[in-house]
Amino acid sequence: MRVEARDIACVLNANHILKGVSMTAENREFVGIIGPNGSGKSTLLRCIYRTLKPSGGAVYLDGKALSSYTTRQSARRLAVVAQHNYYNFDFSVHDVVMMGRAPHKRALERDNAGDYRIADEALKTVGMAAFAQRSFSTLSGGEQQRVILARALAQQTPCLILDEPTNHLDIKYQLQLMDLVRGLDRTVIAAVHDLNLAAMYCDRLYAVKNGQIVGEGTTEALLTPAFIRAVYEVDAQVLRGTDGATHILFHPQAQKEGSV
Amino acid sequence: MNREKTAAHGKKRAGLDLKNGVFHGRPIYLAAILLLLAALIASLAWAVTIGSVDLKMSDVYRVIAYKLFRLGDAECYGQGSLSDIVWFVRLPRLVLAIGVGAALSVAGAVMQAVVKNPLADPYVLGLSSGASMGATLAILFGVGSFLGSGYVGLVAFAGAFLVSIAVVSLANVGGRATSVKLILAGTALSSVCSAVSNFVLYVINSSSGAVEAVARWTLGSLAGAKWETNLWMLLVALAGTLFFWTQHRTLDLMLLGDESAVTLGTDLHRWRIGYLVVSALLVGFAVYTAGIIGFVGLIIPHVVRMLFGTGHKKLVPISALLGAIFLLWADVLCRVLLPRKELPIGILTAMIGAPVFIYLMARRRYGFGGGD
Repeated sequence: MRVEARDIACVLNANHILKGVSMTAENREFVGIIGPNGSGKSTLLRCIYRTLKPSGGAVYLDGKALSSYTTRQSARRLAVVAQHNYYNFDFSVHDVVMMGRAPHKRALERDNAGDYRIADEALKTVGMAAFAQRSFSTLSGGEQQRVILARALAQQTPCLILDEPTNHLDIKYQLQLMDLVRGLDRTVIAAVHDLNLAAMYCDRLYAVKNGQIVGEGTTEALLTPAFIRAVYEVDAQVLRGTDGATHILFHPQAQKEGSV
Repeated sequence: MNREKTAAHGKKRAGLDLKNGVFHGRPIYLAAILLLLAALIASLAWAVTIGSVDLKMSDVYRVIAYKLFRLGDAECYGQGSLSDIVWFVRLPRLVLAIGVGAALSVAGAVMQAVVKNPLADPYVLGLSSGASMGATLAILFGVGSFLGSGYVGLVAFAGAFLVSIAVVSLANVGGRATSVKLILAGTALSSVCSAVSNFVLYVINSSSGAVEAVARWTLGSLAGAKWETNLWMLLVALAGTLFFWTQHRTLDLMLLGDESAVTLGTDLHRWRIGYLVVSALLVGFAVYTAGIIGFVGLIIPHVVRMLFGTGHKKLVPISALLGAIFLLWADVLCRVLLPRKELPIGILTAMIGAPVFIYLMARRRYGFGGGD
């Protein structure tokens, strides 16, 4: 599925968080959104996954305006792994994943064997099958994140939106999660904190700063020391590994200031 | 931040309880429903033999058999004091207890979802103070006396319903009604209503027994049970329970909050309003027939969550049945605890309910959903 955001503007409490942002994710493309804290990455994603209404511009799914879809219809096309998944009530892991089937169900429709199978498979995919009857709140942050990913998988959508999905995960699960998402062969839009992860997994990157797109391109083309300096205000070295991947090394800030 | 805290909290509890609820799996919850249904019928059959007047068990059942199926001797069991005690005194209030208990428990579970707060009860949105304001005005000033003999209940019902509508409208001012705004609006309007009731009671200072009448209302009683209203109460309770049972997915999503719900295909806003109206109907009817009975709607859903987990597919029907059984036995206790005097049921439910609540709170196994 092709996802396009056209000229999105967003004003929250008189702050212009997004000032006309346009981006596209082609069918089955893994698009990363990078940028410093507070640049508007999450806000852009929230406009795309519909929990914020943009004050200007619009989002299009396969060329059709998002607002012309019902919430149920859009939830069958976009699944979301958001940053905060803290709940006041306690569900079992299985219950949480079954909620991913909600957009496919009518009010009186019962969960059938197919739904249970999809939920079980989603849990297996993220390696949480043994936790099905556990309380969601007794899981660690990383485990919770994987359960939420399983819920998104159970939604069986052509597009997945991830807002800093690797927060709280240790390196093994960071790589595992990104591998998994990459292997899904779906359209993916992910806000990524870690430039090395972005370089490893994304087909294309958009860099956001102060509510505007300040750069766009493939990881090799975009992630240059000069660009990283301009966006993040840090010095970095960009190396090409033996595997052909881009690796970014950062230098301690204090050391740099000391040497001036 | 929160997540880290929960995770740490989770690890602390890990040794004690890792599973959500005690019982799992579809067969178990269906079996639980059947079992509770059987328990409810058995309770009804047993409780009807208990009372201040000693009646032979066989006589009690013969009266019921006669009244229901016209079986047996009309002379003995169709009329007279034996027949009246069973058919017009004992049975109606037990049936009413079932209806009211189910209605309050389901409404409690739904309110907890709608305002996304485990401490909510059926009265959280000002329903109880609206009802008691209505009752106070009706008893002291005869407001609505043209409505006939049951006018106090009707005015109380109107008060409850109007207040809940006002709460929803107030919460909608300046944007959509969120769960927090609903609680705030409910608390504010509650205070206004109780202030009005208290002002009236204070100024009137009547010695005519009106103050006692109001107190009786706000403490709840099933003594006024009549077959005509009972059937309505049962019907409303059953319809409400079935309705919310069909809504289990949306109720689950409500606990996740608006944002997650949108990404899972449900815009909660209009559902929230709809559920409030149906709950107000359930609670309004319960108030009309039995006054204000506290704690049932708060405790029962928590007990069920502790045993069966949070999913509303199990929570709604099991809460209804458990609430019905609980209130039925509470009413029996009210009748037999004090010699020659009946205890207001609201006092009893609070006396039983509060310690249970404190026990649940103190026990670490149940963290009221882990939110702290």
